[in-house]
Amino acid sequence: MAYILEVKALTKRFGGLNAVNNVSFGVNEREILSVIGPNGAGKSTLFKLISSFLIPTSGEVTFKGERISNLAPHIAARMGVVRTFQETTIFRNMTVRDNIIIAHHLRSKASLLGYFFGTRIAKQDEAGFGVSADEILDFLGLSPIAGEVAKNLPHGHLRALGIAIGLATRPTVLLLDEPFAGMNHDETMKAVAMVRSLRDRGLTVLLVEHDMPAVMKISDRIVVLNFGEKIAEGSPTEIQNNPRVIEAYLGVEDEEIGL
Amino acid sequence: MSKKTRTLAVSLFLLAVFVLVPALIGTTGRKDFYYTLTSVALLSIASAGVWLTFFIGRINIGQGAYALMGGYVSAVLVMTYGLSFWWTLPIAGIFCAIASVIIGLPILRLRGVYFAMVTLVLTEVTRLLALALPITSGAKGITSIPLPGALSLFGVTLIPDFATMENPRIAFYYVAAALMTLCFAGLYRLVNSRIGHICMSLQQNEELASSIGVNIAYLRVIAYAISSFLGGISGAVFVAATQSVYPSSFTVTDSVNFMLNCFLGGLGYVFGPMLGTLVLYFGWNLLFETGKFQLLIYSSLMIILMLLLPNGILSLRSLWKKV
Amino acid sequence: MEQIVANGLYLGAQYALIALGLTLIFGLMNVLNFAHGQMYVLGGFITYAVYGQLGLPFVLAILASGTTLFVIGGLMERYLFRTVIKRSHREESTMLLAAATAFFFDAVILLVFGEKQRGVPKIVKGVFNDFGIILPYDRLLVGLLAAISIISFILLMKYSKPGRAMRALAQDRVAAQLMGVEVERFTMLGFALGAMLAGITGGLLVTITGVNAGIGGPISIKAFTMIMIGGAGVVGGAIAGGFILGMMESIGLTILREYGDVTYLVIFASLMVFLSIRPNGLMGKPWG
Repeated sequence: MAYILEVKALTKRFGGLNAVNNVSFGVNEREILSVIGPNGAGKSTLFKLISSFLIPTSGEVTFKGERISNLAPHIAARMGVVRTFQETTIFRNMTVRDNIIIAHHLRSKASLLGYFFGTRIAKQDEAGFGVSADEILDFLGLSPIAGEVAKNLPHGHLRALGIAIGLATRPTVLLLDEPFAGMNHDETMKAVAMVRSLRDRGLTVLLVEHDMPAVMKISDRIVVLNFGEKIAEGSPTEIQNNPRVIEAYLGVEDEEIGL
Repeated sequence: MSKKTRTLAVSLFLLAVFVLVPALIGTTGRKDFYYTLTSVALLSIASAGVWLTFFIGRINIGQGAYALMGGYVSAVLVMTYGLSFWWTLPIAGIFCAIASVIIGLPILRLRGVYFAMVTLVLTEVTRLLALALPITSGAKGITSIPLPGALSLFGVTLIPDFATMENPRIAFYYVAAALMTLCFAGLYRLVNSRIGHICMSLQQNEELASSIGVNIAYLRVIAYAISSFLGGISGAVFVAATQSVYPSSFTVTDSVNFMLNCFLGGLGYVFGPMLGTLVLYFGWNLLFETGKFQLLIYSSLMIILMLLLPNGILSLRSLWKKV
Repeated sequence: MEQIVANGLYLGAQYALIALGLTLIFGLMNVLNFAHGQMYVLGGFITYAVYGQLGLPFVLAILASGTTLFVIGGLMERYLFRTVIKRSHREESTMLLAAATAFFFDAVILLVFGEKQRGVPKIVKGVFNDFGIILPYDRLLVGLLAAISIISFILLMKYSKPGRAMRALAQDRVAAQLMGVEVERFTMLGFALGAMLAGITGGLLVTITGVNAGIGGPISIKAFTMIMIGGAGVVGGAIAGGFILGMMESIGLTILREYGDVTYLVIFASLMVFLSIRPNGLMGKPWG
């Protein structure tokens, strides 16, 4: 079966440094694939390349067979490849619900002018967004805080809001940037269940993470980067037993690797 | 605000501008106030444009360029081609909008001070162009521009020929005030609609806006085009009112003033530029009595105001709310 | 040809000095000092007063200009900018304050010194006439003094403790704070230094081009142009911008003399094209 998202010989050079060097792999539809690697391995850069926030020095990224690298980021988003942000960026002064409603911008049918004049299509859009937003709020368990102003939220909820914003765009592939960072065990377990349920919605999920137990639990497949290069790819069990991976993580606590 | 309060506020405003002011001027006999207030109205339109560029996260110190451009377009069209002023008004605006798209495409991706500095230079460039190009008649400018003719729609005369009026100043005041009202009504609607929210998202985080599918470059150009359109219109009416235009009609100082009007009123408020223009312009005029100390007192007051209310006059509103 | 180069170099040295002051302030505080041109004018008038009117030695006059502007700059930062920066929601609010201070300076200068063009007697007489270059000795001297000031400034920033502190602040405010740099003191010092540089340049140039109350604004615009060319917040950028503008002016004024103002039109137009390719100037640090 063809890959829904494919990274082909992707390279990104900054000055004299290859942040990402000749990386290739594919993502299957409705798969949960994690990209891991020590700090500085190039995971963030890879992410930005896939979501088209950076232009590759060479190589390409294709989505459903079509090239999406080298396109403006909002076009990649419109095609269905959407990323969430590590620095929990949200619209600080709006409520949670409004944040999600705004994010529906991508799926609006009315034109900008229509919104200005409040045409019928615009009003229909708005009504539909409200319904969709409520559904997403419910799905992520954010309904209780729907009316809270975003800047007052604690970290865990901010992270969920970031994902909610991503979901509002009705993506096909969702790129999650360290979704489990800074969470304790319980929170992580809940988040793991949530990411799994994303797959049930029909999404393909690509995530970057440091939290090994979570990664091992949730991933169908894992890609390991080190110094910008892919050093391993496979199922969680294969990765855990891969000598190159262990070597790359040498000096790191055993628990971290989940052995 | 609730809908009732809003309707009340709007009615009061319209009453004040269109009825009370003329009545007051009539009774006190201060006919010169017509010119002053016309200027305030027109300048506030230009400032509103600058405010809109702030709204998408750019510091625009180049509005004077478009005011000058709009003024010249109107003047040339009236003098050389005999067009009615009322036609030249939208044409001037659209000309400026198109020019701003061409200029904006390369520079709008600049941020912060870099963008500001480029726009500062823009005003100078326009002035130099006006001096150099033959069509603008160089340093002597275009003078003796006839007053606007009648404006009639489908045979109905909406506005009589200005030359037939006893005091065209009053007519100019009404035109300027009407344009100002339309401008700010439109701005208010824009800011509170979905577009406004998207623009705010642009201000807060451009990457996030991109990721929800906002075409940032496109939105910026549109906002800048609208802003320049407003500048052009303001300039065109100004030139009609003063019946002349020179390369020095709008200078860097004016561009800076438009920006200052926005800051003083409060960048976070749609009506900031209106209030800011009123205060700064009226303040400057009132201080005329102080003779050579005018600039000193004016700038000192501005500094004090900045120290007390760094977020603009309308930021008092949020303080009031807390009380 | 050599004349154009010589003129360009001597002009460039002056301009670089002005640009350095502006870029220092910008680098430290993200504030565009609108009043920079006015500070230059003030420096010029002080030198005029001390050297031209009181007849005291030129060096003393320059010292007076520098010191006065240093103090003024420091006070401005401490009592005006610091307050506004702390309390405003948006970084750009300082622009209003900066513009207001520019107007204030204009007003004061006009009231105190009047609107007449002022000049001072030449500090050195005679003309250097060799290698196809005609350069009056006073211009040569002023150019040299400017170059010396630039070099001293660079050395100061690079090797002295305050210089390093200020550079650290400009690069990363929070990190500098964490490492014990007293942010407030060095920000004030930076602003004062920037103002001083403007004042010194004004004092130097009054001996050649004179000074009048109205040139503050245009000087500010020139300074901004240099920063745009060379890039803001970086010492090298200011120097590069200064020399490039000096050169372009020299070339333009000689070659395009018949066309008058076209020189600056060309400079600005090329600048806009240049900026679309390199938005941050030659070496500038990106905004925000």
